[in-house]
Amino acid sequence: MRAEPGRFADVTARSVGAMWRAYDLQLTTYAALLGTIGLVMAYVNSVESGQQALASGTVFSRALMWSGIAIVAYVAATLFDYHWLKTLAWPIYLVNIGLLVLTKAIGDGVGGSARWIAIGPLTFQFSELAKILMIIVLAVYLGNREGKLDSLSSILGACLLMVPPWALVMVQPDLGTSLVLASILAGMLFMSGASLRWLIAMAAGLVAAVPLAWTYVLRDYQKERITAFVTPCVDTLGSCWQVLQSKIAVASGGLVGTGLTNGTQSRGDFLPVQESDFVFAVLAQELGFLGALVVFLLFTVLLWRIIASAWRSRDPFGTLFGAGLATAILFQVFVNVGMVIGLLPVTGIPLPFIAHGGASLVSIAIGLGVIQSVNIRQHRAEW
Amino acid sequence: MNDSYLTPRPERDRRPLRFLTFGIVTILIFGLLASRLAYLQINNGPALAARAEANRTAEEAIPAPRGLIYDRQGRPLVTNVASFAVKITPSDLPFDQRTDVADRLGYLLGLDPSTILETLDTAPGSRFDPVRIAQDVPEDTARLVSESSDQLPGVSVVVETRRAYPAGPLMAQILGYTGPVDAASLDKLKADGYLPDDMIGKAGVEATFESQLRGTYGSELVERDATGKDVQVLRTTQQAVSGASLTLTIDETIQKDAQAALKWGMRVAGLKRGVFIVMNPQTGEVLAMVSLPTYDDNLFAKGISVKDFQKLATDKNEPLTNQAVQAHFPPGSTFKLVTGTGGLQDRKITPQTRLQTRAYLTLGSTRFYDWNHAGFGLCNIFCGFGHSSDTFFYQVAGMLGADRLAYWARQFGFGAPTGIDLPGEVSGIIPSNAWKMNAFGQPMFQGEVYQAGIGQGYDVVTPIQLINAYAALANGGKLYRPQLVREITGPDGAVIQSFKPDLIRKLPVSQATLRTMRLAARKVVTLRHTYNLVDMPIKVAAKSGTAEYGLRDSKGRLPFHSWFVGFVPKDPYHGSFANPDSQLVFLAFAYDSRTIGNAATEIAKDFLQRYFHIKKDYRLPVLLRRGNFYGH
Repeated sequence: MRAEPGRFADVTARSVGAMWRAYDLQLTTYAALLGTIGLVMAYVNSVESGQQALASGTVFSRALMWSGIAIVAYVAATLFDYHWLKTLAWPIYLVNIGLLVLTKAIGDGVGGSARWIAIGPLTFQFSELAKILMIIVLAVYLGNREGKLDSLSSILGACLLMVPPWALVMVQPDLGTSLVLASILAGMLFMSGASLRWLIAMAAGLVAAVPLAWTYVLRDYQKERITAFVTPCVDTLGSCWQVLQSKIAVASGGLVGTGLTNGTQSRGDFLPVQESDFVFAVLAQELGFLGALVVFLLFTVLLWRIIASAWRSRDPFGTLFGAGLATAILFQVFVNVGMVIGLLPVTGIPLPFIAHGGASLVSIAIGLGVIQSVNIRQHRAEW
Repeated sequence: MNDSYLTPRPERDRRPLRFLTFGIVTILIFGLLASRLAYLQINNGPALAARAEANRTAEEAIPAPRGLIYDRQGRPLVTNVASFAVKITPSDLPFDQRTDVADRLGYLLGLDPSTILETLDTAPGSRFDPVRIAQDVPEDTARLVSESSDQLPGVSVVVETRRAYPAGPLMAQILGYTGPVDAASLDKLKADGYLPDDMIGKAGVEATFESQLRGTYGSELVERDATGKDVQVLRTTQQAVSGASLTLTIDETIQKDAQAALKWGMRVAGLKRGVFIVMNPQTGEVLAMVSLPTYDDNLFAKGISVKDFQKLATDKNEPLTNQAVQAHFPPGSTFKLVTGTGGLQDRKITPQTRLQTRAYLTLGSTRFYDWNHAGFGLCNIFCGFGHSSDTFFYQVAGMLGADRLAYWARQFGFGAPTGIDLPGEVSGIIPSNAWKMNAFGQPMFQGEVYQAGIGQGYDVVTPIQLINAYAALANGGKLYRPQLVREITGPDGAVIQSFKPDLIRKLPVSQATLRTMRLAARKVVTLRHTYNLVDMPIKVAAKSGTAEYGLRDSKGRLPFHSWFVGFVPKDPYHGSFANPDSQLVFLAFAYDSRTIGNAATEIAKDFLQRYFHIKKDYRLPVLLRRGNFYGH
């Protein structure tokens, strides 16, 4: 190997101060604000369940702890030189597959599914981590194929990479995460500049495959949720009940909301999984339309900072990683909020930052950390 | 290695159009979500917010305390006591835990788990309505069930009031009992505010006076969570109003005397069923009404077990049937009141008319025997009624004919319910030519008219009809509706309804005829047809009856019931039956009493000794020996 003195000079020239200037403080701020809203909702949830918010085992105390872990993960990912990820792509991919296999083998879940793995007193949902890991793997793969991205082989290669983890998530079964993985793939291919003709052709093929998926892939309860969405509510229980109660909660919030911890729908336990999947309904009832708008605004500016970082990146990895992360967040917000307000069927997709769930928060923190790692390792900020 | 960051490539294609597209899509998505949110929260808010309120709150009924029941002296016959009930709300019980919960609960309550599941499955109302599984649960058990609530989803323990009947079997046939409302009745009663797990009067005056006793349920607005558990009461929207209380015409002391007399006679004679009724003929008030065998209505109040209920329901002596009003029997010779009154009033005979009585009358080749195979010679109404001569009344019945006889029977209240305040009253049968044409396609034969004239054949009457007919004789021809309630009092103590005699009809019979029949009834006693009854210090006019029924035994004899119905004048020691002033009419009925003498008469004597505190014992237990009245 030839020594590269320029590198040392470069590194020394890039003082901590320069790195700090390249660091995107806005992005951190928006993420922290969203995380704080998540903590507030966890607090509300604990209080409404009649618990001491800080007692051990409450939603709030666990959320505090996971926030701490997320901050550590974020800092670690920021400090970690993302270039190493290119080398580590394959091991990361294999570890990801391994964790998903492990989840299927020893995981716990509701109704016979296997989604969580217990680590000591905590549970961790590795399918959440899989989202970030697959963004890394795809970003490395597509980045290496720069220049050949409009070929069909790039698209097929990316798809092939996605198939094993996607299938493993699907058999858990976790329809929500598998949809997020698919959206990540689609978003990254689109942003990478992949051939639109082929993408459209593949999308058409997927639509054609829907009847097959309906028959062979979807579980009964998943079908029920979807049919409940498209047919008028007849069942006063089950999915229909959830959506109806959720809409009632949102509507009763009005413009300014009922005030924190005053949501009758959540206090009376009318809302299903109100600390996770339906947390936005509680938020909309208690903080009202204005509170929900603030959340939307924070997500929008956060996405803007992620996309800006992606654009600014000097290498395709940063661009693609940012595109994948932005797609994942946007898709999850859309599907989750759409579900809560009755626009989309019920799928178990958590609302980033706000829904209670350690794995989701830590995974997003890692993703944002990688973005910052990309930011501070550019020569200069472009804007 | 291609360290791209060392060799910056600003010319790298970053597809600005696609970044722009992403930005537009982002804004479109948030725009869509925000506008939908605005539609829901601002446009549609109030309507759905009302649903959130409806979700959260529910109107719940406040049960009203049920009215109490007293005897005519104010002695409590029914009280309300607090008790624990265990209920299951089906919607809160996950289907896959049903059997587990039924097993656990069955173990705690000592119930068969399959019974619990069956109760759940057959319960009226929706899945959200609690179903009563057990009532009157002991406090220890109730506490145990409450404490195991996390293993018993959907199970709740509630405090409710239940009925208690201090006198138990003594009054059960009159008071009846309350029980859970059944699905069929619930549909009709829902509009009146009945709840699926409500209690309702099922028998006796508990059933007849249900609407007065129940009161008006109140309601309150409660805050609920999604599992339907009450979080708090927000406000009372309507106060519950207690049910009205009843004061019965029944006198518990007289009821006890009547029951003791009937029990004594039935025990000595080895009888299975009997009735004793006491009334005031001047008003139609029922002072006592005993039907044996009886049951303990507290069993029902505590929630009767299927086993106990089956035992009562299948008992061939029908303890759940009030034999005084819900069953009918041939009246036998007591019916001669109708034949005699009809004969006199239709002027077929006069009080002086003497008819030849003999061992039997012949009709074609059929002989119609007198009970006394010697006959009584030439007999007027006093002799005929006094000796209860069958051949005398065959002839009178023959003169009247089937339809006139039926007319007079109906005038006395036979063949129709009396309208007493008890459920399930039967009509009895009074045969007429029209009735027989309808039933058998033929008119009444002359022999059947003879039979009808002595209360045999097709005639059947209820004990309450019979005593009411004699009450009309005793009071000078006023047929009153027998009544059980003296007074209905509101929860504030104000009288809502007080007793007034309810005249069914004035008999179209002259006072002279009634006087004749009363004196004839007195003859029954003075001619010693009823043995030593005449020796008692009180004056009694009466008629006994021996009513054959069923199938002949190996010696060609029929089983029979015995009747005794009588009355005493206002002054029982010195009064005269010429006056219609009697204040006491009583009836004894002994079912299937194959005794040497008339068992009902001995029972009546026992009652009179108790009622008038007569120290000397006039009863003749020898007459209650097993035998056949006709055999001697």
